[in-house]
Amino acid sequence: MSEKPDRAAARAAEARLIAPVSPQLQRAGALSVLAGLLWPVQAGGLAWAVSGWASGTEVMQRSLWAAAIFLVCVLLRALLEHRAGALLFRAADRVIGGERARILGREALSREARGSAAVAALCVQKLPMLQPWITRYRVAALKVLLLPLALLLLSGWVSWVVALILLVSGPLIPLFMALVGMAAEEASRRQLGEIASMNDMLMDRLSALQDIRLLGATERAAADFEQRAEGLRARTMAVLRIAFLSSTVLELFAAIGVAMVAVYVGFSLLGVLTFGTWGQPMTLSGGLFVLLLAPEFFQPLRDLAAAWHDRASGLAVAQELAEAETAERLSVLGEGTPATPLAGPLAVEIRSAVAALPGRLLALPDLTLKAGEAVALSGPSGAGKSTCLMALAGLVPLAEGEIRVCGRLLDGETADAWRARMAFLPQRPHFGDMTLEAYLGGPDADLETALDLAQAGRIVARLPEGLATRLGERGGGVSGGEARRLMIARAVASERELILADEPTADLDAETGARVIRALLDLRGAGRTLVVATHDPALIAALDRAVEVSA
Amino acid sequence: MKPMLKMMRQLLGAAPWAMTRGAALALVVLLMGAALLGLSGWFITATGIAGVAGMGIAFDVFRPSAGVRFLALGRTAARYGERVLTHDATLRALAALRVDLLRRQARAGARALAQLRSETALTRIIADVDALDGLVLRLLLPLLAGGCTIVLAALALWALVGGGVALMLPLLLLPGAALILLVLARRSLAPASEAEAALQRLRRGLIDMIRDREALILAGQIPERRAALAQVDGQARAAAARLDRADRGAGLALSLLHGIAVALAIVLAGALVAAGQAGAAAAAIAVFVTLALAEALLPLRRGVSEIGRMADAAGRVAPETPAEGAPDSPADPVPGAPAMVLTTPQQQLILQPGDAVALSGPSGSGKTTLLLQAAGLIPIPPERSVTFQGRSISQWREADFRKNVIMLPQRSALIAGSVRDNLTLAGPAEDPEIWSVLDAVDLAEEVRRRGGPDALLGEGGAGLSGGQARRLCLARALLKRPSVLLLDEPTEGLDSATAARVMAGVRAYLPQAALLVALHRGADSGLFQRRVTLG
Repeated sequence: MSEKPDRAAARAAEARLIAPVSPQLQRAGALSVLAGLLWPVQAGGLAWAVSGWASGTEVMQRSLWAAAIFLVCVLLRALLEHRAGALLFRAADRVIGGERARILGREALSREARGSAAVAALCVQKLPMLQPWITRYRVAALKVLLLPLALLLLSGWVSWVVALILLVSGPLIPLFMALVGMAAEEASRRQLGEIASMNDMLMDRLSALQDIRLLGATERAAADFEQRAEGLRARTMAVLRIAFLSSTVLELFAAIGVAMVAVYVGFSLLGVLTFGTWGQPMTLSGGLFVLLLAPEFFQPLRDLAAAWHDRASGLAVAQELAEAETAERLSVLGEGTPATPLAGPLAVEIRSAVAALPGRLLALPDLTLKAGEAVALSGPSGAGKSTCLMALAGLVPLAEGEIRVCGRLLDGETADAWRARMAFLPQRPHFGDMTLEAYLGGPDADLETALDLAQAGRIVARLPEGLATRLGERGGGVSGGEARRLMIARAVASERELILADEPTADLDAETGARVIRALLDLRGAGRTLVVATHDPALIAALDRAVEVSA
Repeated sequence: MKPMLKMMRQLLGAAPWAMTRGAALALVVLLMGAALLGLSGWFITATGIAGVAGMGIAFDVFRPSAGVRFLALGRTAARYGERVLTHDATLRALAALRVDLLRRQARAGARALAQLRSETALTRIIADVDALDGLVLRLLLPLLAGGCTIVLAALALWALVGGGVALMLPLLLLPGAALILLVLARRSLAPASEAEAALQRLRRGLIDMIRDREALILAGQIPERRAALAQVDGQARAAAARLDRADRGAGLALSLLHGIAVALAIVLAGALVAAGQAGAAAAAIAVFVTLALAEALLPLRRGVSEIGRMADAAGRVAPETPAEGAPDSPADPVPGAPAMVLTTPQQQLILQPGDAVALSGPSGSGKTTLLLQAAGLIPIPPERSVTFQGRSISQWREADFRKNVIMLPQRSALIAGSVRDNLTLAGPAEDPEIWSVLDAVDLAEEVRRRGGPDALLGEGGAGLSGGQARRLCLARALLKRPSVLLLDEPTEGLDSATAARVMAGVRAYLPQAALLVALHRGADSGLFQRRVTLG
């Protein structure tokens, strides 16, 4: 709970997110303040009409004029607010769109430690939380600086006592607001935390729901969950009560201020109180005028207090964005764009290369590879087999040494063209939200041959919808070994010459593993070049030679 | 609309009494606000008249000023009470909704249950529940309280001021506001679902891109994918912009409506004064009360602009009418019947108590499907049948069936919490039982090393190796002491020595249970009396 880093982060976020749209925000704020300044005009008209009723002068004329003034001002106010809202929305939209594009660009070509779900949550769910901060809080902060002051001066013009009442109860409000603000910020943080933990638990139970049902534990799990949800509700309410109480205190001061103004004006009009009106008696129109101004004096303060919550959540998102910005990432070479395949016979050479991983360096083994070879990269887990494969594909930057491909240096210039000659089998399959056919390479590819070569024809035949099947994100519907063979089929269908495979037999039983090995060997038989990272002795034995990777 | 009404009923029903009191207080807040402004206006005007007439001393200032103070403080207190009551009731309702959701999801089929593991499905459900908190707080209560306030204010003005100005309020404000809000609701329905759908697509697309990043880079598809995602983002934001336009348009219209009402009140009240039908102070009440109705009117748009999101969420979350014809009366076991009989066109598999049968066959041959059918998790096709203790499993009540037949699926999930939390998921267990079942799956030593059953595991059992997590799931199933135990690849990821120890441990722990085990390896173990090959 240190204050300083929070403030520093808030300033940094302000500079990065708000500065580009601050002209728009200022214009919107100005429009909104202008709308607020129309209220004294409306109040003046009203007071003038009612005092006419009391004295019996020009009753109908005054009424009609006051109604017309009121209506025109309402229209102007509404239009000004409408316009300000449009500006604010556009500003927030620009910030959100810009940040989204940034995240997309960054995630496309570099890796960081956070998982895809966290990145997606930030990009999709949390970014819109910047909106109320930008649209509501900023304008409320500007209004609170200008409007109360203007209304104070106008009230003081009628009566310095009224101005004094407002002046005394007004500054008390910022004092309380500091308390309320802190309490509200703390409350909203805790409340968000409580909801998040309740949601985490629901997610946890839902994802284990099949097991829960199979264990006959549905009722028990539901009761358990109910109990915890109830506990969380009680705690959330305790926190909310503080927030409500603090804002009640705020309202109380505003109410007392307005009531004091009303009572003072009443007694002045009766002639009981004869001071405070610059030597002249209080008039009915003056009294009504200040009475109508008093609540508006407090309104901006209350708006700001209400928007405090928006500020807290906006800053939390801004902070997360800043963290994502500065997180250590692993950038790929090149842009991942389509490119003409690098010319020349296939050849790879790694020479005293050192990969630059986040926070550490990893030496890669020297390696020379010719077309048609099948090489295993072996070694204990953690030695850098996967990193070596990634470096070969230009997915990991080098700190020292070099990798030469087809006789040229692998760098940002050549990476895309080089990658156009290879296919990559990651350790964990991921089937996106697409049909199997699209996953394998689309209708134009020779899928039949590819599936046969990968021994995956039967898998597709077994699926009820065949190539039109949409596998779940994690390959639901096929087993681990089947998913691997589908990945191999995808590599075959791409017709690339060099295939890099990361642990293709990990977590498979011997029989399924043998099938995968057979599929890989068939690929070599069909003229492909293979580099396989593995510690599976059966796979190492099946390939031409092994290169030991040691940390 | 229908799911929304259903949801509303459910949200209100969770704590009806608290919600009623909260709603009453919401009305009191608005009424006191109107009364406060009306009384203040009357008070000032009346004192002004009395002062001019030199009647200042005779004027009773104490009752009105006490009234002003009472209303000011009372309104503040009522607002506090209203907030606490309605928020508490809503939180109760949402908690109940989450529990209800858990129960209903549990009845879904195997495929739906498996899909629940995906991040997208889960975050969606969570977001849907969160979206519904405004249904009562920001939509129903403000509408009810606002409408009642307008009507009651009109009745009060009828009594205090006169007919014309009193009639104007409900005749102008009620239909006017209804029209504006209906237009807003109509205009926000489509963009709200579009925005939501586009955001879900964006989420899926982004996750896909990140998880498949290497392959996309290699295929040179990054620019293409980025452009596609940018387009989806554009759609989401365009829909949001339409929502915002509808919302601001409604705001403008409501402000104007209220402005017209105030202007009319000034003119009508002025006319009453001019005609001598009302005093200036009474006429002032009409104007000030109309001014105060802004508080009843303007906040309505916020809840209505959320209506699209709420309707969508309600459509997905609202309970469907129960379609399952689950039997009400408990089924009795047929005396002497085998524990379980699985009949397929190819073979009949009879499991007697104490039997152990290995189910083998290449991957994809239907072992998992058969087990899921036996566990009643997926529908059984007409050419197959499964009976438990002589009765078809559809005749058993879910609770009775699950007490006796336990299945360990291939991909089991652990819950966050301790080893004990996971083991007692299905029912309480004492320490000696826990240790003996951990012994049976060869996990006791590992748990002891971690400091006993109260050692915490991460989310989804993180911290355990794949094989250990698997055995903990197995232990959880054993602890229920079922009479039929269906195991799908219980020893996957274990070396053969451990696998053999674990299977022997299972047999020893449940000597009387019928075991049906799908296995890749080890089906020839002496433990099994029979071996059935599929495919």
